[in-house]
Amino acid sequence: MSESNCKCSGGGPGCSGSGGCGGHGHEGAHAPLTRRSFLRKSTLAASGIAALAASLAPLRELTDMPSLQEFVQKHYKELTPSDMEKALERIRGEVQRQYGLRPEIKDLKPMDGVEFVYCLNLTRCVGCRKCVHACVAENNQSRSPEIQYIRVLKMPNGTFDLERGDHDYKTESVPEKGAYYMPVQCHQCKNPPCVKVCPVDATWQEADGITVIDYDWCIGCRYCEAACPYWARRFNFAKPSVPKEKLNPNMAYLGNRPRPKGVVEKCHFCLQRTRAGRYPACLEVCPTGSRKFGNILDPASEVSYILRNKRVFVLKEEVGTLPRFFYYFDI
Amino acid sequence: MTILFAVTATALWRDVWGHPAAPSSAPLLDAQFTNTATLRMSAAELIRTGGDTSGLTCGSCHDEKKKPVSVHFNADGTIRLPEEHKDLVMQHGRNNHCFNCHDPSNLELLKTRDGTTLKVEEGTKLCGSCHGPTLRDWEAGIHGRATGFWDPRAGARVKADCTSCHDAHSPAFPPIKAAPGPNLFRASLAGAREGAH
Ligand code: HEC
Ligand code: HEC
Ligand code: HEC
Ligand code: HEC
Repeated sequence: MSESNCKCSGGGPGCSGSGGCGGHGHEGAHAPLTRRSFLRKSTLAASGIAALAASLAPLRELTDMPSLQEFVQKHYKELTPSDMEKALERIRGEVQRQYGLRPEIKDLKPMDGVEFVYCLNLTRCVGCRKCVHACVAENNQSRSPEIQYIRVLKMPNGTFDLERGDHDYKTESVPEKGAYYMPVQCHQCKNPPCVKVCPVDATWQEADGITVIDYDWCIGCRYCEAACPYWARRFNFAKPSVPKEKLNPNMAYLGNRPRPKGVVEKCHFCLQRTRAGRYPACLEVCPTGSRKFGNILDPASEVSYILRNKRVFVLKEEVGTLPRFFYYFDI
Repeated sequence: MTILFAVTATALWRDVWGHPAAPSSAPLLDAQFTNTATLRMSAAELIRTGGDTSGLTCGSCHDEKKKPVSVHFNADGTIRLPEEHKDLVMQHGRNNHCFNCHDPSNLELLKTRDGTTLKVEEGTKLCGSCHGPTLRDWEAGIHGRATGFWDPRAGARVKADCTSCHDAHSPAFPPIKAAPGPNLFRASLAGAREGAH
């Protein structure tokens, strides 16, 4: 498993030019950049928008073209409540057209006095991968091509070297002797390298600690994917496909709404659930109770208890990312 | 084999041009892998959900008032169980004696070492009477699983009983079936090609 996804020397921001990196130079990777930079630099008069609409009309037939409304939408942080309502209504319409059902979509904000932390008990985890699949189902990840936010590494006993982890173990029955299992997903770092490298501010850290992505703003340059030391980000090379009957209609704007081709996505602590007070889907499905989640600012929460009473550690502490995702052994 | 190769080649070729792969190529996942049920059903859960509780009725065979139940041992010290209890495997280490946990004067009740009797659905208290530190962790929501709402203002947090995960008689957590791993072919369409594999 190589750490950097980028073949260009230097990796990350050092990669030269969009599209030239890693050799996937198809149009999805850089076309939106041109569109966006064009749009952001120009102040479009109403007539200009109309002309643009007319010129785009034939292209609207193509599945992956953004709608005009999406195209001219402001940055998330600049959206007024009525802008947001329009954006949500557009998404409802798109989902209805594509999946034949009207989603329950909201723009959930961070809650006051809440900072999320995740703790995972490596003594308990048996590597059954149910979390991986519950996550896919909850978050409307593409089934083909396959996108999964959680990677479960089978680790030989006695090492923390992620390079020695194997996520492709084929055993029917788990756990296996001589190994422990380490699920890895986005660590929601306090000092997130992925956010720093984003050239268009399409990904940022929110007050509750969740690093989010605006899929309408992401240009698919994949610098963030290369910058993440935990391989937590995934890129939609092709149009994601989710079977109609499997679509989860409980959606959030910065969460699990359907993604277009050409954007990056990752674990967001199931914000459509957690910002409504629920536990994330990976925790709910875990048969061993290895996964713990909650508000670190609340001294009565499970995660506060764990940080007080167990010896926790973080992955790759030396890179200074300050993860909000802790591991511990329970003996 | 040839067909498989052709299909693979076609899919890759289509991907080069950025076309969506056919959705039908993703087999649906077996629902057992997204089911949030615990490993087993505790007595408490059986009773709560109106399940089959016939296994918890001892009176159909035993009448402990008339004929006290005695525990029988093999020569090697292990407990000898009759045919009627053959699906019960006793493997709780040193804690193998039936009446460490069951009340001999009323089989349908549980009894702790200090003599407190408990209803059969109060197994968690029984376990806690010997596994104090684990019970403390459980009460804090750390050992075992608490689901529902992390935020008490939004809803309740439900803790799974000890016997929802552990068989009281053979409490070691058994090996379980693993869900399918990443499909390297389908994942490769998405990202493994550049080394994330
Ligand atoms: C299908 C009939 C049947 C049911 C139902 C049943 N038992 Fe028994 N049990 C037996 C028989 C037969 C024996 C052996 C003869 C005896 O000791 O009476 C036995 C023996 C026992 C023993 C002694 C073990 C030993 O070494 O022989 C215990 C303890 C016991 N049963 C507990 C229970 C409890 C608790 C329940 C209810 C949860 C229960 N049984 C329900 C048939 C039954
Ligand atoms: C009377 C005391 C007592 C009670 C009650 C009791 N246990 Fe135990 N338990 C023990 C002892 C003693 C051991 C250690 C066994 C050994 O190593 O010999 C043990 C071991 C265990 C283990 C470790 C098993 C292993 O193989 O690693 C588990 C899990 C466990 N108990 C769960 C439970 C549960 C669940 C309950 C409630 C249904 C329970 N215990 C009730 C005394 C008790
Ligand atoms: C560690 C405590 C403990 C010991 C020792 C123990 N039991 Fe139990 N037993 C329980 C608990 C607790 C339940 C309720 C199970 C639940 O919540 O799922 C139970 C349930 C049962 C049942 C009901 C059906 C089932 O299988 O769950 C039978 C029958 C039974 N016990 C028989 C026995 C016999 C016979 C022995 C001795 C060989 C024995 N038990 C030893 C704790 C114990
Ligand atoms: C969500 C499932 C779950 C619940 C609920 C649960 N446990 Fe466990 N427990 C586990 C797992 C998984 C292990 C580790 C598996 C193993 O090593 O056998 C474990 C291990 C144990 C052990 C062995 C010592 C240790 O800490 O590794 C004891 C004792 C134990 N549990 C007691 C209890 C008691 C008592 C309760 C109820 C108060 C309880 N468990 C509830 C899943 C659960």
